[in-house]
Amino acid sequence: MPKETVLNIFEQFRQDIDEGNDRRERLIKASRDVTNISKKAIFLLHRIVLEDSTDDRALARRAASSCREKLSEANALFALMRPELAGDRFWRYQRQVSPGLQEYIEALSLAHYIEHDALISYQQVQDALSDGDGRFFTLTLSDYLLGLSDLTGELMRFAISNISRRGGRLKASQVCAFVRSCKSDFEHFTPHVRDLSKKQSVTAGSLEKIEAAAYAIAVRGSEYDLPQEMLDDLVAQATTRFNIREPDEAYM
Amino acid sequence: MDPQDLETLNALLEHDVGVSEKIKEQVKEFDKRGRIIVGILGKIHSTPSNSMPELLDSVDPVLLSCQEITASIADVIPPDQFWRWKDMWSNSMRTAVYAAALIQYLRNGTLLSMPRASEILGIREDWKNFSMPVEDYLHGLISMVNELSRYAINAVTLGQFEEPLRISNFVKEIFSGFTMLNLKNDSLRRRFDSLKYDLKKIEEVVYDVSLRKLVPPAAQTSQ
Repeated sequence: MPKETVLNIFEQFRQDIDEGNDRRERLIKASRDVTNISKKAIFLLHRIVLEDSTDDRALARRAASSCREKLSEANALFALMRPELAGDRFWRYQRQVSPGLQEYIEALSLAHYIEHDALISYQQVQDALSDGDGRFFTLTLSDYLLGLSDLTGELMRFAISNISRRGGRLKASQVCAFVRSCKSDFEHFTPHVRDLSKKQSVTAGSLEKIEAAAYAIAVRGSEYDLPQEMLDDLVAQATTRFNIREPDEAYM
Repeated sequence: MDPQDLETLNALLEHDVGVSEKIKEQVKEFDKRGRIIVGILGKIHSTPSNSMPELLDSVDPVLLSCQEITASIADVIPPDQFWRWKDMWSNSMRTAVYAAALIQYLRNGTLLSMPRASEILGIREDWKNFSMPVEDYLHGLISMVNELSRYAINAVTLGQFEEPLRISNFVKEIFSGFTMLNLKNDSLRRRFDSLKYDLKKIEEVVYDVSLRKLVPPAAQTSQ
């Protein structure tokens, strides 16, 4: 076999391999940017729900819509990624896209829960991952479930930081019930979705923390023979005074 | 979770599980045939050159029967999902490429091209959801080089003193081809890095037979 042919063959391979590696790198970067935006969206939401407000529903709506607005930056990135993931490429580079996508789903589902007290459905996530030209790519079951698994950790943070607010204990027990039902719904999928069982045990940990907080409040609350609202007032007064004294540190 | 949503997800999951089960079945058979082929090819090390064609011919039917398997797998994969499942059979695919490449070298001393490898395995160009990834082909070639470095030694034992020289030239060409690639840090890269030990082994055999004048000088220059 003449030497040239072998080298020609490999020349073609080089092009293919380089093209694949370059695309992979681009997608890893884009995915990292999506992760970043999503994390910021989550922090933004946590900050807003802790603001003082007389109308909790309105506050929740505002938090959710700010979060979604931040996430629209990620949508712009997904739109750019669309041609890179067209056809059979999506599955080829799925592992590079997943981390950012799961973080995005986590933020999106948190906003959805804060606003509607419900789990975002597969279809709703898919709809969010679209624009006027249709979907960016087909949402996979595993990304959907793994993204939602991370939601439980955020909800735990939300419940615990809210527990001293008016109505916070009720909220905490709702979150607790919600996380519990998520965990049991997901259990069924664990044998077929990689890494889900790992996330399930993290969820179990979060659940325990919320339960412990709810327990502590219930035990201490029982020492006072007061109606719920008055207890809320007492706690709220104490925490407000604390917040006024240290307004800066509270947000550090 | 809403019961209706749960049902949607279950349907998705069941579909995926169904696809995976069907592929698994085919891969099991692919593996089995791969082992049979590797078993037969193991005999090259003790087969004198005059009975080699017969031995190689006996591999053909098994190798060609893998076409049924690639066809069945291609049939099961949903559109655009090739890369989702391909890890399931890439080992078997590499073994098949290895066997086809080794046979072609032993028959006529040439390198099996990737289109020809696909053809032997029945992978048709018009298949939309099944193809041969470059990586699998290259893994197959590396396995062939590994095997040839052993064969160089055993050919000498069988009295075929010119074989190591032929192998040396052939393997060097493949090696220089690989050096043109920008491989990322993966298993292909590691296996390529280990090729130099095979080259060294072959060179030592060439050195031994040349030094002892076991090869007629004409053969050396004509290669």
